[in-house]
Amino acid sequence: MSLELVCPAGTPSALRAAVEAGAHSVYCGFRDETNARNFPGLNFSPDEMIEGVRFAHAHGAKVLVAINTFAKAGSMEAWKAALANAEKAGADAVILADLAVLDHAATHHPNLRLHLSVQAAAATPEAIAFYADTFGVKRVVMPRVLSVEEIAKLNAAINVETEAFVFGGLCPMTEGRCSLSSYATGKSPNLTGVCSPPEHVAYSEDRNGTATRLNGFTIDRFGAGEQAGYPTLCKGRFVAGGKTSYLFEDPVSLNAASLIAAFAKAGITALKIEGRQRGKGYVTEVVRTFRAAVDAIDAGGTEVEVGRLLAGLVEGGRQTSGAYKKTWR
Amino acid sequence: MAEHFRGELPRLLRILAAPAGFLPLGPALTLAVRRFARRKPTVFDRLGEYGKCSFLIEPSDLDFSFLMVPDGVRSEVKCMRRRATQPADVTVRAPLLVLLGLLDGTLDGDAMFFNRAISVSGRTDALVALRNAIEDAELTPADFVGATGGLGKLVDRSVIGGLGLARRFTGSPIHGEPS
Repeated sequence: MSLELVCPAGTPSALRAAVEAGAHSVYCGFRDETNARNFPGLNFSPDEMIEGVRFAHAHGAKVLVAINTFAKAGSMEAWKAALANAEKAGADAVILADLAVLDHAATHHPNLRLHLSVQAAAATPEAIAFYADTFGVKRVVMPRVLSVEEIAKLNAAINVETEAFVFGGLCPMTEGRCSLSSYATGKSPNLTGVCSPPEHVAYSEDRNGTATRLNGFTIDRFGAGEQAGYPTLCKGRFVAGGKTSYLFEDPVSLNAASLIAAFAKAGITALKIEGRQRGKGYVTEVVRTFRAAVDAIDAGGTEVEVGRLLAGLVEGGRQTSGAYKKTWR
Repeated sequence: MAEHFRGELPRLLRILAAPAGFLPLGPALTLAVRRFARRKPTVFDRLGEYGKCSFLIEPSDLDFSFLMVPDGVRSEVKCMRRRATQPADVTVRAPLLVLLGLLDGTLDGDAMFFNRAISVSGRTDALVALRNAIEDAELTPADFVGATGGLGKLVDRSVIGGLGLARRFTGSPIHGEPS
């Protein structure tokens, strides 16, 4: 196996769907503020995590538990419990971002394999060496602001594994440092695990189309038949300099399938698919398609037409290779 | 009735389906949901406080709609004529085949939203919770009629196969194809 395919699961049934569709690893989180997809009705109870790990291991797949929000000062109990529950479930690794959580894991759970979340935004050999030397981190998830060439150079300068996002929702900000939603809602993915918390999102329809509001602020309006995106401020349409446009980033999904061979050449260990908040239909289609794509490259075959196969699943109906090819405006 | 959109039932089927609005669908669905709640209570645990919310589900190609309160063994489903509008915490509107695809997990809710195959209003948090609970429920057609064992498998195969054919026939959005 040259490239490990790391796939999302928001529910136990999505975990089973991912494993059955060919995931080498599945990542998921507990049903609380300790993970960055803390949506109503999503995620795993401790018992469901035990059962999920058992199922994955029985089918030859690994489970990586995301505990990747930043712990609250003086109130770390939820993060400590999540680490203990991940170890009890037999997780193959935990994905962490916060220094205090990393320190607690390294000190009290020395047998847990530690991966550094994209939320930690570690993008230099110095930062990665610090996490590896101090806490024994074995893998780093690459921030989505680097080109393939930059990742290749980074890999030559570090001695831990790297994991890169290959498909799904595209966060245009430096992860772990974006507080945009805090200004509108008082919550952020970094602290409470939600970007645009759904209790603050409202849609309304009139003859001009659909308006998206975040805590009362209108952040976009879609005409009838126009493709829609997620209700996040970074993908909102605003007036600046007399022009209405997607100021930060268009509603668009990452698709770096055409770079799979380049990722392998750059020394990347694992490819990550975003989408723990998505349904089984998405998980099955995307995992199956990317497993075929990875296997084809591995066997020296031709590229699978991922873009065409998954066109109906992407945000805003559009796909981009993001910063990997540095074609952003 | 609205003109025919991609994925909606053809006019003839809509006319044939119209009398279904007069059948006791509400009591039948209420029984089915309560039976399911007894079998899989953890699905309703996922809903938490949102189990008390009311969800108005409007198939855009039918003249009737469903008002559901998914409160475990106290769940209730009412079937009503479209004109009898009733306030609800959440309203979801989409062609019948899309709604059924979301119910059994064949279709992805976010993708249907991006493609504008569904429209939603009201409490987004309640809708997200319901969507995630349904996603984990692994609902099958047999669950709705209470069929188990061999009969259940037969019902599932027949209905799922039929729905797949119907989606292709009506041009309903499927994965890999933007609508």
